[in-house]
Amino acid sequence: MFEHFVSFTEMTTHAIFSAFRPPVRIKESFQQLYFVANQSLIIIVFCVCFAAMVTILESSFHMRLVVQNDSMVPGFAAMLILRELGAVVTALLLTSRVGAGIAAEVGLMQTTEQIDALKMLGIDPVQYLVLPRLFACIFGGMILTIVADLVCIYSAMLVSDMYLGFSPAMFISGMRRFVHFKDLIFSVIKGASFGVVIPLVSCHFGFRCKSGAEGVGLATTNSVVTSSIVIIIIDFVLSYLFTHF
Amino acid sequence: MKAEAKVGLLFLGSLILVVGFAYVMGIITPFSNNKSLNVRYNYAGGLEEGSPVRVMGIKVGKVRRIEFEPGFKTKNDEEVKLRVEIDVEKKAWASIRKDSKFFINLAGVIGEKFLEISPGSTNAEEFSSGDSVRGEDPPRIDQLISQSYGLAGKIIELVNKNEGSISNVIAQLDKLTTNFNKTLILLDKTSKNKDMARLLDNAIKISDDVAYLTGNLRSKKAEDTYALVQKLLFRLEPLDGPAIKKFFQEEGVKAKISF
Repeated sequence: MFEHFVSFTEMTTHAIFSAFRPPVRIKESFQQLYFVANQSLIIIVFCVCFAAMVTILESSFHMRLVVQNDSMVPGFAAMLILRELGAVVTALLLTSRVGAGIAAEVGLMQTTEQIDALKMLGIDPVQYLVLPRLFACIFGGMILTIVADLVCIYSAMLVSDMYLGFSPAMFISGMRRFVHFKDLIFSVIKGASFGVVIPLVSCHFGFRCKSGAEGVGLATTNSVVTSSIVIIIIDFVLSYLFTHF
Repeated sequence: MKAEAKVGLLFLGSLILVVGFAYVMGIITPFSNNKSLNVRYNYAGGLEEGSPVRVMGIKVGKVRRIEFEPGFKTKNDEEVKLRVEIDVEKKAWASIRKDSKFFINLAGVIGEKFLEISPGSTNAEEFSSGDSVRGEDPPRIDQLISQSYGLAGKIIELVNKNEGSISNVIAQLDKLTTNFNKTLILLDKTSKNKDMARLLDNAIKISDDVAYLTGNLRSKKAEDTYALVQKLLFRLEPLDGPAIKKFFQEEGVKAKISF
């Protein structure tokens, strides 16, 4: 455990320092961003839509059950979506899709000694592999969080219009009562923070991958599990911090 | 299409979504037709930035900013330390006059605070955008409760100090009530007594007669009579003995009049 922590810190520090050193790999970064953001967009939009629908229906059900009134559901649901759901669901989906992919890719490179080959060629593997993915996940996380948040709100609005009797105008009016623009900014900050976690954890497990299919599988599993746990913990810390603003 | 272009499109799309969200939330108002007013308070009672502003119960704007201005004084030399800047839509602007009142009210299940503007009279002048006006400070419930506690404490203290005399007063009151009750019972019994009933009947009749008499005395006829008597007396006053004698003799009345 401690060994993991030390190695992870080393890699992270190395990544941070190498970010300020040439060469800047713009092309690779954009390719990774395309993989992280564009190719994950459909699945994330699809999943968060349903998550938002469930959230607003459950909120309404519970409000009716407890206070016999669900007039504040649009505001509460929109706030929950913006401050929590949009960013976290997006990050967990990215972990399972992108994080697993990165861990498997880097793990396979490690087992097939491609990383050693990179070192032989004088290429820094952290700068070559980690930095473009880090950049892609940070910006991809931010973009996808924005899209997820607003698609969530839109789908919640549709459901509340069809099943709960709140017209879009009523929904927006209720939302304005509780939601502020800063909530979207907090959500984007969360998205960026989760975006930092996913490539670093995945690359860390990829670099430590043991040989064989079993080793790659284990690295992938560990990276997804660890990333998810770290995301949940960071979410708690950030949510606590944001309650002060 | 290249991967970079697709990424760029997605970035642009997300940027448009953010701008759209900001517009819906009222952060960006490119087609704004609002005017602003500075309402001064010493106590805002939980009003927040973004709280609605209503005129006659209709939402016409919101609180844009709340700022502390410790040194500010109104024209009447009153210190007002809080400036609440509000946006009001142009359609409601004509209803807000210089004699309008600016209250802070409470609405909804969760007690949402809003700024209510009472419409002014048409004779009063309109505001210009950015004008300052003194708002009506809402009642402070905390102060009211604290004053009530103080009052309750004083009452308890008073009761404790004068425990003997208060209990004496209560005992006296109790006695008085008992006596009054007894009197009432006696009266009830008396009214059932036959003689007494007759007496009361007669008293009622006398009272009716007196009422009739006094009624007649106040009538127009009676007033005319008084006037006539007064005139007569006026005419009789200057008459002396011989003149009266002569008058009666002329009228064929024999009378012995001595002075």
